Amino acid sequence: MEKPKDSTYSYHELNAMLNLYGPDGKIQFDKDRQAARQYFLEHVNKNTVFFHNLKERLDYLVEGEYYEKELLDKYSFEFITKIHDYAYSFKFRFDTFLGAFKFYTSYALKTFDGNRYLERFEDRIVMTALLLAEGDEQRAMTLVAEIISGRFQPATPTFLNSGKAQRGELVSCFLLRTEDNMESIARSINSSLQLSKRGGGVALLLTNIRESGAPIKKIEGQSSGVIPVMKMLEDAFSYANQLGARQGAGAVYLNAHHPDILKFLDTKRENADEKVRIKSLSLGVVIPDITLDLARKNEDMYLFSPYDVEKVYGVAMSDICITEKYQEMVDDARIRKAKISARKLFETIAELQFESGYPYIVYEDTVNRENPIAGRINMSNLCSEILQVNTPTTYNEDLSYNKVGKDISCNLGSLNIAKTMDSPNFPLTVETAIRALTAVSDLSNIGSVTSIKQGNDQSHAIGLGQMNLHGYLARERIHYGSEEGVDFTNIYFYTILFHALRASNLIAKERGKTFDGFEKSKYASGEFFNKYIQNEWKPKTAKVTGLFKDSNIAIPTQKDWEQLRDDIKKHGIYNQNLQAVPPTGSISYINNSTSSIHPVASKIEIRKEGKLGRVYYPAPYLTNDNLEYYADAYEVGPEKIIATYAAATQHVDQGLSLTLFFKDTATTRDINKAQITAWKAGIKTIYYIRIRQMALEGTEVSDCVSCML
Amino acid sequence: MSDMLISSNEKENKMKLASKITRPVNWNKIEDPIDLEVWNRLTSNFWLPEKVPLANDIPSWATLRPDEQVLTMRVFTGLTLLDTIQGTVGAITLIPDALTMHEEAVYTNISFMESVHAKSYSSIFSTLCATTDIDDAFRWSEENVNLQRKAEIVLNYYHGDNPLKRKVASTLLESFLFYSGFYLPMYWSSRAKLTNTADLIRLIIRDEAVHGYYVGYKFQKGMERESPAYRAEIKAYAYDLLLELYENEIKYTADLYDPHGLTEDVKHFLHYNANKALMNLGFEALFPHETTQVNPAIMSALSPNADENHDFFSGSGSSYVIGKHEATKDEDWEF
Repeated sequence: MEKPKDSTYSYHELNAMLNLYGPDGKIQFDKDRQAARQYFLEHVNKNTVFFHNLKERLDYLVEGEYYEKELLDKYSFEFITKIHDYAYSFKFRFDTFLGAFKFYTSYALKTFDGNRYLERFEDRIVMTALLLAEGDEQRAMTLVAEIISGRFQPATPTFLNSGKAQRGELVSCFLLRTEDNMESIARSINSSLQLSKRGGGVALLLTNIRESGAPIKKIEGQSSGVIPVMKMLEDAFSYANQLGARQGAGAVYLNAHHPDILKFLDTKRENADEKVRIKSLSLGVVIPDITLDLARKNEDMYLFSPYDVEKVYGVAMSDICITEKYQEMVDDARIRKAKISARKLFETIAELQFESGYPYIVYEDTVNRENPIAGRINMSNLCSEILQVNTPTTYNEDLSYNKVGKDISCNLGSLNIAKTMDSPNFPLTVETAIRALTAVSDLSNIGSVTSIKQGNDQSHAIGLGQMNLHGYLARERIHYGSEEGVDFTNIYFYTILFHALRASNLIAKERGKTFDGFEKSKYASGEFFNKYIQNEWKPKTAKVTGLFKDSNIAIPTQKDWEQLRDDIKKHGIYNQNLQAVPPTGSISYINNSTSSIHPVASKIEIRKEGKLGRVYYPAPYLTNDNLEYYADAYEVGPEKIIATYAAATQHVDQGLSLTLFFKDTATTRDINKAQITAWKAGIKTIYYIRIRQMALEGTEVSDCVSCML
Repeated sequence: MSDMLISSNEKENKMKLASKITRPVNWNKIEDPIDLEVWNRLTSNFWLPEKVPLANDIPSWATLRPDEQVLTMRVFTGLTLLDTIQGTVGAITLIPDALTMHEEAVYTNISFMESVHAKSYSSIFSTLCATTDIDDAFRWSEENVNLQRKAEIVLNYYHGDNPLKRKVASTLLESFLFYSGFYLPMYWSSRAKLTNTADLIRLIIRDEAVHGYYVGYKFQKGMERESPAYRAEIKAYAYDLLLELYENEIKYTADLYDPHGLTEDVKHFLHYNANKALMNLGFEALFPHETTQVNPAIMSALSPNADENHDFFSGSGSSYVIGKHEATKDEDWEF
């Protein structure tokens, strides 16, 4: 046990002082910087294996089976020396204690006994760049510059695993369909185990599973519905983890019109019976427009048996548009149905969100209207930002594949908005990121789940994300959610979209290859580009015009879009999906960013994670002089967050993880109102609901920054 | 207790027993708004140990050295004992002293939650440790002189016949005596160990903070009705009791933490909380500022606000509350 010293504080204590006001009543930013320094002196430097030179180090790591030999063999030793020197020439220093602590705790390569470090930050970046450049020296150098300058940050699985000989997959995220038969359910459990073991978060679609009480082989009242399937999945996820690095994590999605919907939600009740309680599985509800419309009219909504729906329509319930077929199904006597009050459902959802933060919401019809790809989207993933089309798989009796459908995987990486705005070459920054993510897709070969492999081979889908919006806005003295804040968000995402499409077009041209089904997409028809060619998009405020001008970033014109449309019609694009804005937990700390495009949760954030314990993180660019620009998410409130996300959503082909924050004075009605506002604003998905309860007056800890600011 | 001074609280109590009229509690007529505020806070804070995924701490538990595991189990048996007293004796003995019927209702809630806390430690044990180890730890708590002495002192005052003194004992228990135990899970969590257990403990701390505050507040209300002379007597008594408990607590702390070199650090924490308990009772602090400088990592970890930003994959955190239900209206649905 580490003994606290009387005279000098340990790094944990110094870091915690960030959350306590100094004697002058100011936030003690210097204590956090001391904590970072102390961490290196006390811990990192003492526990890092020393090598005399690079050769000795690499030989040791390859012989010890720490690094992949095949990867290093793609480059000359001379080049590897050069790229290491280049990485170290940036003189990188972590901005915060948490950044350094997170990197060494969760990412750096350690000896097999877990006691000593074999890598520094620069080494991890070099290995990532070497892998993602696929042998191209120039691209490897560019990638090192982009990552170490903080402009581009690959997602955790890519950054954590690149170049390691003992590793999980590079891809973060998987989405699987489960169909209404035992083979498919069994496959889903197996696939969840396989994918968790390899480090992914897995989401499953349960909409098609027949409800509890439905007939099996025509005998009534036999099926147990979706709850026992959820129980099995929860156990599967807690069993499998990625070499202990991350815990297995799963989500399940259910359509609001599934008859088990209320039971599904009740699994998260505070007083739920142990037999049905779901602790660690995340829940999502897929809500079509008709549900909101029925709630508006304060009518009952019908729930439909997926078993009957599939018999009548010949396709699974997830593959039909409920809004379109609603009246038809209500009138069809062959479809068994139940009814509940539509408003009551929304109230129940809000109650559960108070108690547990769940369920996520997918506005199904909005998602499908905005989807440029042929096919249907019926679910999302663990963080509700992946939105892609899928098709069902059928199995033989022995669980082997009969007809392989298309399931979804997505690899992510995010740009730091502030650093990207500072980029000497904005288009190149975007292009480098798109190429790096494409490389992850190319390098991924998930043989354990054939339908995932098939999906990736056909679509090369990637998800370019963004983070540090609030940090950037505050640095530029703009309030989050203000007119200027929303204006910037709109134009930034607009410009990113242009360059992302251009990069994917470039790759398609180079390789002479597009994703499968390009010709049926709205990109091929040109329809996608109408809104950019028919309307002029430019900043509405002088401040934002100035920001782009000062950064020398050209805002694409209608003419540019016409040219791009023609190029894409001619050569296509390589990636079926390009953007998805994830919540960016861990990587935003390393990258010194605010999470995603959310407002900060707190000026000094208390971060709790399994591997880290409780640590404190100052918002990027925060000083004692600019506190006013760091209104936290609870103060900002849902309207401004929704307005900011709506501005971004219109330029993002997939989704954005949107968390809504409420003070504990909110009621279920406030949450429902925000859900309606979000739907009206064209938001595609809602991620968590977070509630902040302040300590009762008289019980708080004195002088605590996160309590008082 | 002085024969000369009879408190007005006691008189009222005796009258209450004599009259024996049973009245229904009317929540539409609130005599003390704090009753309602605390009731609302306590009910919205309701939780059960089953919601915390303690099993996620099993790998972390395995990284503790055997002596650290023993320390942790002993600390938790000590806490179990205190919560058992508080749930089955403490909060219940406060009920007859209640000034309002709503206050009685709040004590029943406190009493129930204390039993939830006592059971929570069992959840921790059964998740992390083997039965023989649990039995050993419980035996230690039954045999440890200082822990037993602590229980004895508090129980004595609960069984005494003075309502104000009972409240003093209860406040000291809620706001002071628990904290030698709470120190350890906070210490572990600041070092990334047993973080889900720490979540559960933080839920307990969240409750205890409100309990201590409320009982202390009711004590102050009771004091307002007394003569200055009697108030002085009670105050002197409170400091005496605190010092008696403190002396014992220091020995108990040393029993637990000496082998780990943490005793000095825990003491600072005890001073801080002793002052806090006195504050709840409306008295001045006893321990000077320098001796209450709590290790910042522990201090920051204590904050009862539900504002930490956790990643949902590791646990549900200690921030969720039961929400207020309000139906939507037609105008909310205009689109």
